Amino acid sequence: MRKTSLGLLAATALAAAGIATGASAQDVLKIGAASAQTGGLAPYDGPAMEGFKMAVDEINAAGGIGGKYMIELEIIDIRSDAAQTAIAAQELLDGGINVLITPSDADPSFAAAALATEAQVPAFSPGASSPTLPLMGGDYMFANFPGDNVQATVSASWAIEQGFKNAYILYSPDTQYTTLPLYFSDVFAALGGTVAGQGTYVIGQQDFSAEITKIKALDPPVDVVMTAAYEPDFPAFVRQLRAAGITAQVIGSDGIDSPTTFSLGDAAEGVVFTTAGHPTPGSDLEAFFAKFEEVYGRPADTIFAAVGYDLMKVIEAGVLAADSVEGAAIRDAVAELEDVKGVTSAITYKGTTGMPVRQVTLIRVKDGERELVGQPSPDPALVPAPRMQ
Amino acid sequence: MQAPILSVEKLGVRYGAVEAVRGIDLAVGQGEIVALLGANGAGKSSTLNAIVGLAPSTGQISFEGAPISGIATEALVRKGLTLTPEGRRIFGSLTVEENLTLGGIPLGKAQEKRRENLERMFALFPILAERRGQIAGTLSGGQQQMLAIARSLMMSPRLLLLDEPSLGLAPRIVDTIFEQVAELRASGITILLVEQNVAMSLEVADRAYVMASGEIVAQGTAEELSSSHLVEQAYLGHA
Amino acid sequence: MDFFLQQTINAVSLGGTYALLALGLAIIFSIMGMINFAHGELMTTTGYALMFAGLAGLPFVIAAPLAVAVAIGTAMLMERIAFRPVRKGSPATMLVTSFAVAVILQTLFQNLIATRSQPVILPDALAQSVAIGDLTIGVNQILSITITVIILVALNWFLKRTTLGIAMRAAAEDFSVARLMGVRANAVISGAFAISGALAGAAGVLWVAQRASVDPLMGFVPVLKAFIASILGGLGSLTGAVAGGFALGFIEIFLTAYLPEDWQPFKEALALGIVILLLLVRPNGLIPAFNIGREKV
Repeated sequence: MRKTSLGLLAATALAAAGIATGASAQDVLKIGAASAQTGGLAPYDGPAMEGFKMAVDEINAAGGIGGKYMIELEIIDIRSDAAQTAIAAQELLDGGINVLITPSDADPSFAAAALATEAQVPAFSPGASSPTLPLMGGDYMFANFPGDNVQATVSASWAIEQGFKNAYILYSPDTQYTTLPLYFSDVFAALGGTVAGQGTYVIGQQDFSAEITKIKALDPPVDVVMTAAYEPDFPAFVRQLRAAGITAQVIGSDGIDSPTTFSLGDAAEGVVFTTAGHPTPGSDLEAFFAKFEEVYGRPADTIFAAVGYDLMKVIEAGVLAADSVEGAAIRDAVAELEDVKGVTSAITYKGTTGMPVRQVTLIRVKDGERELVGQPSPDPALVPAPRMQ
Repeated sequence: MQAPILSVEKLGVRYGAVEAVRGIDLAVGQGEIVALLGANGAGKSSTLNAIVGLAPSTGQISFEGAPISGIATEALVRKGLTLTPEGRRIFGSLTVEENLTLGGIPLGKAQEKRRENLERMFALFPILAERRGQIAGTLSGGQQQMLAIARSLMMSPRLLLLDEPSLGLAPRIVDTIFEQVAELRASGITILLVEQNVAMSLEVADRAYVMASGEIVAQGTAEELSSSHLVEQAYLGHA
Repeated sequence: MDFFLQQTINAVSLGGTYALLALGLAIIFSIMGMINFAHGELMTTTGYALMFAGLAGLPFVIAAPLAVAVAIGTAMLMERIAFRPVRKGSPATMLVTSFAVAVILQTLFQNLIATRSQPVILPDALAQSVAIGDLTIGVNQILSITITVIILVALNWFLKRTTLGIAMRAAAEDFSVARLMGVRANAVISGAFAISGALAGAAGVLWVAQRASVDPLMGFVPVLKAFIASILGGLGSLTGAVAGGFALGFIEIFLTAYLPEDWQPFKEALALGIVILLLLVRPNGLIPAFNIGREKV
């Protein structure tokens, strides 16, 4: 209730301001974020919204989008909970937002997607990478991260190029994202590799000894192990895998683009994973990271800050193209965007179902630092269709 | 009666809406055995529990002349009074010796005294010595009652509140237990005995109080009560 | 055969950690009749202590006992501040209090330390292994099994040979009568929390040694496992908690080891199914507590 009356108050104040300056309420783009500022998704949503806010502040400081539309941002913490996401999204939508930001994971985003579609308000998840999200989430749901199937195509192609032949995948049926290795398995097999086995784990699992004993018992031995496990599961898995004396190449995905991965010492040495970008010298991303540190007084230790920043750039481009803050108009404009210049990559929505076409970066952990392996463009013919569950 | 070791004035115990004890007065003199008689539900056990602080009560309770109302049970037992609860309530998962060890806790660091008491208990109840390593829950009812009494005696109490020691025991065992109670008095311990077995109680007791519906309805020496109908009346409910 | 032996070692190692966790819950439950859901946060506290000790440059052999000491202190503080005032409350009150303590600690970790997972510096030796014949035993597993055995032996000695230990067992069985023996409620409950803190600390060190990171919500999964293990073993029974912990470890490992690949996604559900089946056969757990249903403090 308190929130509503505050909202009313703000609306009244805005209306009054509108009368005073002679501007219309149309001049404000209201963005509501149902975002995981605490809980398990906070490592992704926290930095994503920090980057997002940086872009908002820059645009507002420059006079708004196209010098015309000022941005108002409201963030509600959904504590990494799907039910809270739906409640927060409804509250924001009732408050008359033009654009909704959902959490950086497909599962809670689904909870908000239907509401956004019904209200004809475009919704964006900064970090969700499951290609099923925009497909099942409706016309108004967009993702902003390289899709799981695209990431898996890049890493599987790389593995084949390196001459690996025998793979083991470890996935968790608990979330969409953690089933990414199943895409890897498809591509790896399509390119002539053998998938010798697949294991599952539960998110939050600490002990992987049983799985690892099974991997070790495989004959011939596997030369590559692929998983989309992230913290805390990934560090536990890779440490135990190495402790068991298995030296196979380990491939991961964007979830492990985090400081912990680089602090694991010998265990994570040589791990290769896909992510959204890499700050090569002189790149926009490098400049962004420098600016981030200036703004927040500490380094952005993850790519998600830049991903959040880029998401605001996408919305900016959509509003500019639509020249409107009306939800349906923004949605239609975003769906036609091509090569929006982000700090991580150029981003295209035209011709997609809401999953952006963008660069995938392959990173190797070397001496506890990031080493760029490459930023290959995947062969579209190889990208598996989204797996509907 | 000598100077009271325990005196209770206007003691009331209430459990929610139920008034179990309604403002009773009683006193126990040094070295006496006093019986508190009455039918089931008369308020006898509540009285004992209130004295040791295990039941919430109103009124005054003094032990050896000092007020003890409101003092926590675990502190009270260090002052020298204790209760052997109804139904024995020995620690069934512990050994006989462990049960006795616990009884000695109020003696604090006096290890010598604890050892001495343990030997004394084994002398008093030889069956316990035989079974010192046995899990107490596997003892017979009579043996458990002996253990419960011995456990209370381990702390060398000056006043022992004994709640229904004959409950659920075979008559032959009841005789033994009462013999042992009589022997205890010889060692100088004052005893407040709650019983339903009127005849046996009046045999060992010096004096007795009779309770009904939370009140004391009769009192007197054991001889007086044995020869009157007051006790019977109390039990039948027309006192 | 080697595969089976290797998986058995895995099961003993995992089961041992579960046993320590379940024991920590059981020791509090046996005395207070309360499931302490903040037990997991004691592990998280241990994790952060390890993290800070690592950042301060302390070697692991010093950091680990220090972290356990922090867990003991936190457990005793928890009892003093949160649980003592509601000790005479209903079981529901105590349960809700323990949830509240868990949430408050999680929020404190999030606000005072970080929402995101923090790396914990560990000696590389912990990520190595020893080969014995065809078997590979992780240093981590050796550590886990050794610590579990040492703690179980020490706890057994404490509970059987010391007056405080005997008093705690007595208090678990019948608190009122224990007070009649002069057993101080505060000392026993405080002692129980200290032991449960030590168990959470030891399990926390083992847990973090495996995952090399700590985050504010780290305690959730382990406390859930401990809860399942202690129900399986017999709520409030210490021997039962150990049995339940090992049983859960064996069930989880052997399902993963021998379930066909197509069934693997359902192994967690199957594990719980087996636990429920066992409870149908033995409703009070594998080794029930002695005093089921008797009132607590």
